[in-house]
Amino acid sequence: MQRTQHLDALRQVVLRLESASPDATPVSLPFGVQEIDRHFPGSGLTGGALHEVIAASHGDRTAAFGFAVALAVQARAVRHGPVALIAARRCFADFGEPYGHGLHRLGLDVGQLVLVETRLDQDALWAMEESLRPEVGAAVVAGAVEGDLDLTMSRRLNLAAAGSGAPLILLRPPATMGTSAATTRWRVASAPAVRDRFGSFACCRWNAALERCRNGRPGHWLLEWNHVAHRFGLAEILADRAPAAGAGQDSRRLAG
Amino acid sequence: MAEKSGLSIGELLTNARSKVHDLQSRDADPAADADALRRLALWSLRYTPLAAPWGEENGADGLFLDITGCAHLFGGEAGLLADLADRLRRFGLPARLAIADTPGAAWAVARYGSTNGTIVPPDMTDSILRELPLAALRLPDDTLLLLHRLGFRRIADISHQPRAPLATRFGAHFLDRLDQALGRAPEPLSPLASPPVYRAQAMFAEAITTQEHVVKATTRLLHDLAGDLARDGVGARKLRLLLFRMDGEVLSLTIGLSAPSRDARHIAGLISLRLDRLPRGFEADFGFEAAGLHVLAAQPMPERQTLLTVADDLGDPAGLARLIDRLEQRLGAGAVRRLHPHQSYVPERAVLVRRASDGPSAEWASNTPSDARPLLLLSHPEAAEVMALIPEGPPRQFRWRGVLHQVTQAEGPERIAGEWWRQNDNQLERDYYVVEDANSRRFWLYRAGLYGRGAARPQWFVHGVFP
Repeated sequence: MQRTQHLDALRQVVLRLESASPDATPVSLPFGVQEIDRHFPGSGLTGGALHEVIAASHGDRTAAFGFAVALAVQARAVRHGPVALIAARRCFADFGEPYGHGLHRLGLDVGQLVLVETRLDQDALWAMEESLRPEVGAAVVAGAVEGDLDLTMSRRLNLAAAGSGAPLILLRPPATMGTSAATTRWRVASAPAVRDRFGSFACCRWNAALERCRNGRPGHWLLEWNHVAHRFGLAEILADRAPAAGAGQDSRRLAG
Repeated sequence: MAEKSGLSIGELLTNARSKVHDLQSRDADPAADADALRRLALWSLRYTPLAAPWGEENGADGLFLDITGCAHLFGGEAGLLADLADRLRRFGLPARLAIADTPGAAWAVARYGSTNGTIVPPDMTDSILRELPLAALRLPDDTLLLLHRLGFRRIADISHQPRAPLATRFGAHFLDRLDQALGRAPEPLSPLASPPVYRAQAMFAEAITTQEHVVKATTRLLHDLAGDLARDGVGARKLRLLLFRMDGEVLSLTIGLSAPSRDARHIAGLISLRLDRLPRGFEADFGFEAAGLHVLAAQPMPERQTLLTVADDLGDPAGLARLIDRLEQRLGAGAVRRLHPHQSYVPERAVLVRRASDGPSAEWASNTPSDARPLLLLSHPEAAEVMALIPEGPPRQFRWRGVLHQVTQAEGPERIAGEWWRQNDNQLERDYYVVEDANSRRFWLYRAGLYGRGAARPQWFVHGVFP
């Protein structure tokens, strides 16, 4: 018992030393699910930091976008202020434009949302840095870029986020590899939806892998989004239908 | 034109219609008239610093210019009148002009004088006014009617009557008008105050060449302006920066702000961003020798009380406005937007996208449909080949953008009908389905039209995607 307490205290010290602004204690944005929050150093997603969300494949990009919006909604529950969504034009070109009523349904306060569309990635990165200035008072900044991000740029974004205390949630294309200064990296794929007891597709579900988590442990969960309470939950044991459908497809592919 | 057809001002529309059968009529717009008159008065400040547009009691269709001591600048009174008449004619404004000793006399001669452009010599006011009808005294209609019935026609008829009975019969105002016209009583004018001009200029002892110096000089100019702006309680919404280059070239930059501001640092930052965006880069070949800064549009800016307790649960609206300004300066005006709800059942019409600087978004909570809506909406619905088990049922599989999707579950339909009250709206009924394919991706599909109605087979479209 003594030992674990010591370890926890030491972890907190290391966390403070490693964070970009050592004097401020980082705010954490809890998921509200014990199983997940345990993986993070401060019992939740770190507030002023860069978090990357990567789609598992091209078709999962809408799922990844939905996941990023859900993270933003979760951050909005803790922090007040406007929300900025900044995207380079090519990011959503295949799937249309963010739709107000859809965002509202996920729980985002669309009245507080400012949408920024840029032609180039570098303009989008600049806009993110500007939105993270402390005097703007943004609750959360969500961004999407199409190209690669070097370590220096990601470090800059991380510092900007630390300066404002707002989390920066950055959507990156599926092929993303390599190093970055991000505090967490999520790889997200869509998962089969379940019907609620009224027979409608009430919740979105994601296969979310926490690939890296600074000072924490990676993990892998089947997450679902509660459309009423606007928070994450762990999906219960997989519905019997979903694996069967996947298996059926595989066998077809083998046969063909 | 109207007078040639025998029409006159004040005539009933029905009478006028009976005279001219193809008469076009427009509703009167007094506010717009007053505004136009004000603008004309502002323009006429080129002749004199004192211009007063007419109020209701003068007919609200002209203006007084006090040209005392100004006429010689235009070659005397005749020269001024000719110049004014010429310019008004070129504006397409037929006007009646007169110069007299008093505003009342000038009004009377302009309205009822025998010729346009009369100049009443200083000692002739009395004798010229005497010949004019009583209406030239700016009297109310009922007084005029009464005077007419009593047999008074011209000003001469009453100017020699005993004053006391006239005053008791028609009120003191009646005699005031007569005295004002003859110059026996003062008539104060309410001259138009010219709008304040906020501009600052600076000459440089040595030409400046770097962007950094330009920004620094602009900051100084802004500091000069800030005092005037603060005194009037306004902030700048639009500014123009003029940079005068040694070789005579003038660089002109216009900068718009989403909220009124007189913060020198913020505006200088915007100018720096704007300079970055110049199409040919910042060209200061020979250096700039002077700079001028003009406020093109100013708006009242309430003083904000600084809070002692930091209210960190409310974001600072000024901080957001500044962010929007900076983003617009670098990315262009259309790049920063907000979504507004709109009352419509048709999904693509239910959201309006506006510039963020146009103001905050409306209330969403009460304006959103209860049914499922996609997170991303395609800008145009895209046709899909759909196979359904039963004609009116949900899709079983569909091909979109060349990829075949097997539908594992579907929800719907949600029927959305066209808005028949809109003109040119021949939109068919749409049955929307939320479908999930084998890769557990979810789409929003609709069938346009119904089976068995109309000749064409219903078409299927993909309209959006869900997370």
